[in-house]
Amino acid sequence: MQKQQIHFVTGKGGVGKSFFAAALAESLAKMSQYSPQENVTSKTISKPILLAEFNDHSFYREYLGDKPAYFDLAQWTGAECLKEYAIHLLKIESLYKLFFGNPITRALIDVSPGLLELAILGRATSYPRKHGPPLKYTHMVFDAFATGHFLTMLRAPGGLAKIIQFGPMGEQTRSIDQWIRNPEFCHIHLVSLPEEMPATETVELFETIKSEFGITPKVYLNKYLFLKKADLANEPESVKIYFTNLLEQQELAEQIFKDHKIKYVPVPLIPEIETEKLLHEASEYLLKEVL
Amino acid sequence: MIKVAATTKTIICIGTGGVGKTTMAAAMASGLSEHKKVLVLTIDPSLRLAQALGIKPDGEVYKVKNNLYACTLNHAKAFHEFVLKAAKDSASPEQIEKLLQNKLYKQLSTQLSGSQDFSSLFKLNEFVHSKEYDIVILDTPPAQHTWNFLHAPEKIGQLFNEGVAQWFRDPDQKDTGFLKRILNTGTTQVLKVLENLTGSEFVKELGVFFRAIQKWQTPLEKQVWDCHKLLTAKTTEFILVTALDPSRISEALRLSSEIEKQGYNLKSIIINRVPVWIKEEVTAGPVVRYVKYLKALEAKLVGSKSKFGPHLKVYKSHELSHNQLHVENLSDIYHRIELI
Repeated sequence: MQKQQIHFVTGKGGVGKSFFAAALAESLAKMSQYSPQENVTSKTISKPILLAEFNDHSFYREYLGDKPAYFDLAQWTGAECLKEYAIHLLKIESLYKLFFGNPITRALIDVSPGLLELAILGRATSYPRKHGPPLKYTHMVFDAFATGHFLTMLRAPGGLAKIIQFGPMGEQTRSIDQWIRNPEFCHIHLVSLPEEMPATETVELFETIKSEFGITPKVYLNKYLFLKKADLANEPESVKIYFTNLLEQQELAEQIFKDHKIKYVPVPLIPEIETEKLLHEASEYLLKEVL
Repeated sequence: MIKVAATTKTIICIGTGGVGKTTMAAAMASGLSEHKKVLVLTIDPSLRLAQALGIKPDGEVYKVKNNLYACTLNHAKAFHEFVLKAAKDSASPEQIEKLLQNKLYKQLSTQLSGSQDFSSLFKLNEFVHSKEYDIVILDTPPAQHTWNFLHAPEKIGQLFNEGVAQWFRDPDQKDTGFLKRILNTGTTQVLKVLENLTGSEFVKELGVFFRAIQKWQTPLEKQVWDCHKLLTAKTTEFILVTALDPSRISEALRLSSEIEKQGYNLKSIIINRVPVWIKEEVTAGPVVRYVKYLKALEAKLVGSKSKFGPHLKVYKSHELSHNQLHVENLSDIYHRIELI
């Protein structure tokens, strides 16, 4: 297998993270020249891409079904990742049950902010660390948490390494921290909208990630309007007002990125109501213009 | 304009992130303050909104205009206040200081996802009970799920569970020796595993933490119960804010039916950022595909109305031009909210 890459998709709530993550997964599959085979159940073929969501919502199931054509779909919860890790570490299932059934452990999990997030990162980095069940995907795309919670997650290994200095968990934690700081392996995609508020928040997140983790995230302006004010000259007044307002917000957002010398990739507003068509169009765009 | 029952004392704005919940909470507060004394509790408002309201993120209450007051919640401060209040009668200043210096406490008070939700509820409860305001409006934290917010009191309550604290009880207030007091072999094994995995320092910290907070179980339970009572009171109204996007509308449908099942008083749905519909026909030119798309969205919006429960009022609010966000305009947003 070629080297594995992981991709975190994050951004402010409501900017279209889930949509973008699915489009990215599909375009990565197309890039690896994977094409869905008809009449073959997805269990019998191994797809090169995994799309995993951390948030518990059924966006994908509702719009893509349980088995999307281009990638494997999974939901990674912290609790489940922690269980997998604990069984792997404790080896004995009964000891695991004793451990997790115990009120101290449960309270520990609740009281240790970042422990569940650490477990997720542990699984995400299990392939290069050669630790845990192998996940043989060339690319793993994560529909990750929104801004603040995402930072909490990235900080979890470093934070917990300070508290848990010894034992196998201490070692694991430090190794996870190293891998998420490896720019060859770990890629962060920040999705933003062409509006002032999301742009400002994206700049802040971009700078924090860059300075704290040494990774330069890729920024995308979702729902970008490829229009100019001059294009609207002959349109009816209401159309002119509506689109001029959008274009003014877009200019403002672009200026914010320019002021901070942050490059961004515009992802066009695709005027399509059906999610599946929308995803295909977006993935074609990413394949052609971005990857 | 959105109708609020005359007896309503608390309004809780819920909804997923990015739908303009905070601005909507501020707009409602501004509109309602024309007749009542209103406080709006915001969480992480945008710079523009904070400037419009003239508030700082320091947890203080600011007078915005006439009968309108606003406060940006400061979670670490609110959680700290709660702990001090709970500890007041049962712990010495040294014991409190010891807890405040505990590494787990430090992380808990700032980072645990439930602690933000809990401190918002704690402050809300405090402001409602102060009876200083006719109406208190809470903009909920950007939790992925409203459940996290509604169940925060129980989650925090579990930490203070007597059973857990017992394992670590050390009446002599010594840091060592609590392992000896463990009651059964199962727990000894668990603690050994824990120590093997994490090192003894961590288990020690854990012991200090649980021993410190166990005494506050009773005051905490009272708080949890008070918060729960407030959430389910008849004088508390929930407003669900969502946006005009097919997946957002589906999300709102699921959320609203769940909330009602759990017995919360959900009255209204606001679909925010609805464009002013374009009446003209556009058949050619660069915007034709976009206009067609907007018209499809409009049809979708009208179609979704009947899917919400029959007693729920479904409103729409129009997108505000980016340079219109001034305190004077907040009431306008409120007045321009209209039934679909």
